[in-house]
Amino acid sequence: MKKPWWVVLLLITPGFGFVLLLIGAVVSMAVAQSIGFYNFAGESQFSLEHWQQIINGDGSRRFWRAFRYSAYIASYSAILSVIIAYPIALWLRKPFKGSITLSAILKAPMLVHGLVAAFLMINVISYHGFINEFMIWSGLWDKPVRMQNDKLGIGVIFLQVWKQMPFALLLLSGSVQNLSDSVLDAAQDLGAGSIARFRKVVLPLTLQSLQAALILIFIGAAGDFSFQKVAGPTAENSMATLMIYVQTDVGDWNGAAVIAIMLMVLALFGSLAVAIVAKYVSRVATL
Amino acid sequence: MTLIEVKGITKKFDDSWALKDINFSANKGDFITLLGPSGCGKSTLLNLIAGFLSPTSGSIEVNGSDISHLTPENRDSAMCFQSYALFPHLSVLENIAFGPKQKKVPNKEVVKRLNSLLQQVGLTEHKNKLPNKLSGGQQQRVALARALAVQPSLVLFDEPLSNLDAKLRDQVRIEIRALQKELGFTAIYVTHDQSEALAMSDKVLLLNNGVIEQAGTPEEVYFSPKTEFVANFIGAANVHRVKITSINNSAISVMLGTELVEFESANYKDLKVGQEISICWRPEVARLWTEKLLLDNDNRYNKIRAQFVSSAFQGAYTDVFIKIKGEEKIFKLQLPRYPDLKTGQEINFSLPKDSILIVEKV
Repeated sequence: MKKPWWVVLLLITPGFGFVLLLIGAVVSMAVAQSIGFYNFAGESQFSLEHWQQIINGDGSRRFWRAFRYSAYIASYSAILSVIIAYPIALWLRKPFKGSITLSAILKAPMLVHGLVAAFLMINVISYHGFINEFMIWSGLWDKPVRMQNDKLGIGVIFLQVWKQMPFALLLLSGSVQNLSDSVLDAAQDLGAGSIARFRKVVLPLTLQSLQAALILIFIGAAGDFSFQKVAGPTAENSMATLMIYVQTDVGDWNGAAVIAIMLMVLALFGSLAVAIVAKYVSRVATL
Repeated sequence: MTLIEVKGITKKFDDSWALKDINFSANKGDFITLLGPSGCGKSTLLNLIAGFLSPTSGSIEVNGSDISHLTPENRDSAMCFQSYALFPHLSVLENIAFGPKQKKVPNKEVVKRLNSLLQQVGLTEHKNKLPNKLSGGQQQRVALARALAVQPSLVLFDEPLSNLDAKLRDQVRIEIRALQKELGFTAIYVTHDQSEALAMSDKVLLLNNGVIEQAGTPEEVYFSPKTEFVANFIGAANVHRVKITSINNSAISVMLGTELVEFESANYKDLKVGQEISICWRPEVARLWTEKLLLDNDNRYNKIRAQFVSSAFQGAYTDVFIKIKGEEKIFKLQLPRYPDLKTGQEINFSLPKDSILIVEKV
């Protein structure tokens, strides 16, 4: 017998309602703050002034730079992570001696906290870090090279990929291992070489995992604070560092809420865009 | 004209031999079946021909050229897999077009082939469906059409009917054979089902433990099995080890338990009285003595006493299990009617003398 809608609603309320309450409370708070409510430095009332100031006002140049920078870091990190994870997942698809150990080692960065990873990275690439010390000791370089806080944020992307690639590997390994041997054999038997097999069989059949990996990595990297703070370019802000700066140094809580909302917008639409592009690429590859 | 020639193929996995010195050839348009029990090496042999495995030694020639070193995508063969192996994300049409597109067949020709194949396998109205929307039989037809779309010299079948129910299996079996005759492609078909092998093949290669036990037409392997294994595997013949009691020209006498059995053998000169040999006879050649309305002095038949053990009704015939005094083994008779017998009841059955064969001991 079909249950009435209100019974269904009541049944899902304990679980779904709780989740909705938690997420809804945070998001609605940020939205409310961005439009002038919960103003700790002045009168709390509806106003779009904070949006005007951040997006179109004096600070807009800095905001859009941070927006573009975060989008750039997130896109490159997500794409590079899956590009590296794919061949490894395919390589580890069939078990061989030591493959389980290797797989565990590759996933180890997931257990290391981002801040610790950033700190370790600084030890390696800093002015007096391991790489510079080694190169000077070996006589290959005359003087140390500046690698930390590089202008293009390559150090941040490197750290993001180091940290997020195992996550992509975890997601892709599952779906790559579910691929039937006979389907891959059939493709080969019908004339598809290794690249054609990847394009026309592996990619479309693992697309959902690919999209999930891209979305999750994009969201994580777009909101990065610790890697940017430790290893990022000094002249650039990520959305997260800008948000903290606006909140703590400028004392503009409502402005920080605007940046937070825009960070969510970036995470939502950016990750969707990456996923849609992945689907499009997969469709084109199958043709 | 010889299309494929397998010369001295061996395959070793770690320490075990999967195939030892396999030699056979097939002419253009032949339907060859590799038959044998699980683990006999038949799928390994098929995978070697397809290129998924490399031989340890030996060579495979197609149209006179050695293809042993070629990867599967560069061979002129196509395989129908046991699990169909259809691309789940592609429609029926796209599945069938996959091969020709990979082989860079011009679009016009691809469309022509697709239309013709869809019609031949009766799937025109399902062409836009995904494989998971099709029945097992339809999926198998798509797999066959997909293999044929590349117009290979050789079509390889890896137990393609094993996932279908019995009725559908019979139907698809007929369709495959009809299509093979119509299009004239050469087929190498792997199965463990002897009825499939006998019904479809021009030639059967019966494999056991990595070697070809016997090769021949279905009639040859059924009516003239060379070894105990072949006799047992095809048609489940009754096989006994017996001692020769007398040889009178070509007439050989042996004791089957307490029963004297006579038969003819052309190779009587190689036999000696007292020698242990292996003989076999098919369950369907025996009849209850009463059923045959024979005269007791008809010397074309052995009259054998036995004890009825049990029976199993199979529809068109009945399997009757009997015991012969002095023999441990239970024998099987295949009778056309359901006999009214009781457990332990003594019966007499006839065994034609010309239906008993000597086979090699394994």
